[in-house]
Amino acid sequence: MPSLNMTALLVALLCLDPHGRVGSAPICMHGPTACHVPSLADLFDRVIQHSARMHSLSNDLHSEFEQYFLPSKNHIGKIYRKCHTSNILTPNGKENAQKLAREELTEVILKLLMAWRDPLFQLHESMAHQQDFNSFSSNKALKMGDMVHELRKGVEKIAEKMRVLGMLGNSIPALSSREAMLPVSESEEAMSDYELLYCFRRDSNKVQNYLKILKCRIIPEHDC
Amino acid sequence: CRQPVIIAEISLDNPSRGPHFTGCRSREQETFRCWWSTGIFQNLTQPGALRVFYQTKNTLEWQECPDYTPTVQNECYFNKTFTHIWTSYCMQLRSVPQNITYDEHCFTVENIVHPDPPIGLNWTLLNVSRSGLHFDVLVRWAAPPSADVQMGWMSLVYQVQYRVRNTSHWESLELESGTQQSIYGLHTDKEYEVWVRCKMSAFDNFGEFSDSIIVHVAQIPSKESTFPTTLVLVFGVVGVVILLILLVFSQQQRLMVIFLPPIPAPKIKGIDSELLKNGKLDQLNSLLSSQEMYKPGSYHEDPWVEFIQLDLDDPAEKNESSDTQHLLGLSRSGSSHVIHFKSDDDSGRASCYDPEIPEDMLTASLLPGNSGRGDQHPLVSRSSSSTPSLTALQTSEGAETPIKPTTPSWANMDFYAQVSDFTPAGEVVLSPGQLNSPPEKKKEDDKKIKDDVKIQFQLLSDGAYTSENTARQLAADVPSNPGPNQGYQTFPPQAVEGNHGWNVEYLAPVDVSQMPYLLPVAPPASILPPVSDYTVVQEVDGQRSLLLNPSTPQTSVCTHSPNKQLPAMPNMPMGYLTPDLLGTLTP
Repeated sequence: MPSLNMTALLVALLCLDPHGRVGSAPICMHGPTACHVPSLADLFDRVIQHSARMHSLSNDLHSEFEQYFLPSKNHIGKIYRKCHTSNILTPNGKENAQKLAREELTEVILKLLMAWRDPLFQLHESMAHQQDFNSFSSNKALKMGDMVHELRKGVEKIAEKMRVLGMLGNSIPALSSREAMLPVSESEEAMSDYELLYCFRRDSNKVQNYLKILKCRIIPEHDC
Repeated sequence: CRQPVIIAEISLDNPSRGPHFTGCRSREQETFRCWWSTGIFQNLTQPGALRVFYQTKNTLEWQECPDYTPTVQNECYFNKTFTHIWTSYCMQLRSVPQNITYDEHCFTVENIVHPDPPIGLNWTLLNVSRSGLHFDVLVRWAAPPSADVQMGWMSLVYQVQYRVRNTSHWESLELESGTQQSIYGLHTDKEYEVWVRCKMSAFDNFGEFSDSIIVHVAQIPSKESTFPTTLVLVFGVVGVVILLILLVFSQQQRLMVIFLPPIPAPKIKGIDSELLKNGKLDQLNSLLSSQEMYKPGSYHEDPWVEFIQLDLDDPAEKNESSDTQHLLGLSRSGSSHVIHFKSDDDSGRASCYDPEIPEDMLTASLLPGNSGRGDQHPLVSRSSSSTPSLTALQTSEGAETPIKPTTPSWANMDFYAQVSDFTPAGEVVLSPGQLNSPPEKKKEDDKKIKDDVKIQFQLLSDGAYTSENTARQLAADVPSNPGPNQGYQTFPPQAVEGNHGWNVEYLAPVDVSQMPYLLPVAPPASILPPVSDYTVVQEVDGQRSLLLNPSTPQTSVCTHSPNKQLPAMPNMPMGYLTPDLLGTLTP
């Protein structure tokens, strides 16, 4: 069974493409020994690159939005906006993140990624219908949604692999039940596009940093 | 550890405003500091007068600055405990005693991160160009130690700038995520200043620049100097240009021919233009004489000079159709003594009769002394007795007894014939070679006969040219001779001399001046003695009228003895009086 699970995992991992391309990874038909199996470190590198790219994209979109639509900054009301992911407890610093358990950290990452699937889709639709945005911006929003989706899959694969490798002691609830992970928005009012962009930029930075911390903890490297 | 004095992060500060935050910064995304200034309010400079309170989204109440830096004025330091990333902070600058909030500043920490400058900047020479004027260097640095890049907590990108020393403009290179970068195209013998700075990727806040380093490569004097090469090249080009100019000037003529071909000059066929220029006169003469157009004696092709040439050689040929018959379109059946006219070079021979000519041939007196009356005229065909009368132009079938009915009277006449009469109808009656009996002259003419119209004239020149006036005048003078069936009046036969067979009729002499043509005339109002058809102009009277010499007809007119009155007449065509000869005639 471990071999079957390993094979399934490897097939799934091989299908993982952190850059969003579909079907570029070859499927290992002859077992793990015949193909080059990417190591966990490689997987982490791919995922981290993917998250960095996602965060860069969100930063660009947020800067465009802020440049053309919002003249003022640093307003209290603006700063204290509520994101729909605010109820997710996330470590607010490097040390806090380092103190967190691997499973929890992985779970936080997955929670964040799952929380943004629908809002990003809504954001893309909202930006596409508005004529204020150019097609390039709406395409960015669409791409962000795809990247979140792909990133979530990749992190799930990593988590699965870690669990298989025995690095994860407890099971991750995020992997098992998807329905419970959906955040419940406290306020019924719909978030504007700018708020979504602001929140997503912050969360993508969180995901990127959390992944780096996780990698450093899972794969021991120098000075890590 | 450098601390910026003034941080222009949020907005440009108005110096006249009150206490305000000058900025907050984080160096490593783990701690941050905030600075403020008192502004123009001088009464708040003492420490403690202004206090900073902050509020995060997590803690709803305002908390005071956890650490006022003792060494630095107006600085609030937040250590790792109080630093929450991805958390919104709001700072307030308050004066507690007065409970006045002077300024507020909100931010999130990751947005105020300004990394420390990289360290360990150094350069190495990559290569020097072949000319020794340029070189490339590789610049290396290290990440700032405060930034945790090993774990990846901060992902840094770097920017290298360089400039020529003591200038103001910095050249920026592209962002580099690694810790080294190459600089290409630097000039030797120039000192360059290079420094580097960094920022977090996907963020916009650059850190401070590192300490600059000096890059300098001394120019190596190359052994192979480029100066002679350039000089040789320049001289070579100049030499080639000079050669081209010389070539053009030396071959100027040929080039002119090639580029500007000359227009071909007109040429005379068969004559070389060079010979015309340089040839001798004899050669030219021979050359020109060979040309047909310059032949002096060849008048064959000359249409303007027409010579009537008489060929009296072959009597056998006279049996053939004469030219007159051809001219008149009639066929003759045998006629002898027809003189044919052939083209003959000897145009002046017409005045002499050939001895082969029979005696009954008329001869005209061309030369002076010859009256020409009744003489045989060489130009006029003489008709034998057997020949039909030629007096009547119109042939009548019945009345012609000895006349061959089919042959007109003048059919056997040659090309030139004497017009003897004019029919009322206006037709020309040519005089026959022999004078036949009047009955022969009788012609049954169907045409109208007018008794009062008797036009008799004798054309003594070639053709039948006369003017109408002349004809009338002649008709008036000529006595009418009513004759039955005679459409014309002829002179009494007795006037005709000899048996030459000529019914010579003559014209009433009129003044020559009234006549456009020269006509040899007889004295007026007198029955002129029969003269030959052609008469030589003998003299010119005072009125410049030509007088004919009514001398006795002579049988032989081949007398070349000149008249005493007239100068010697050279051989000339019958009846022609060239203008120069006219001048010789004296009244």
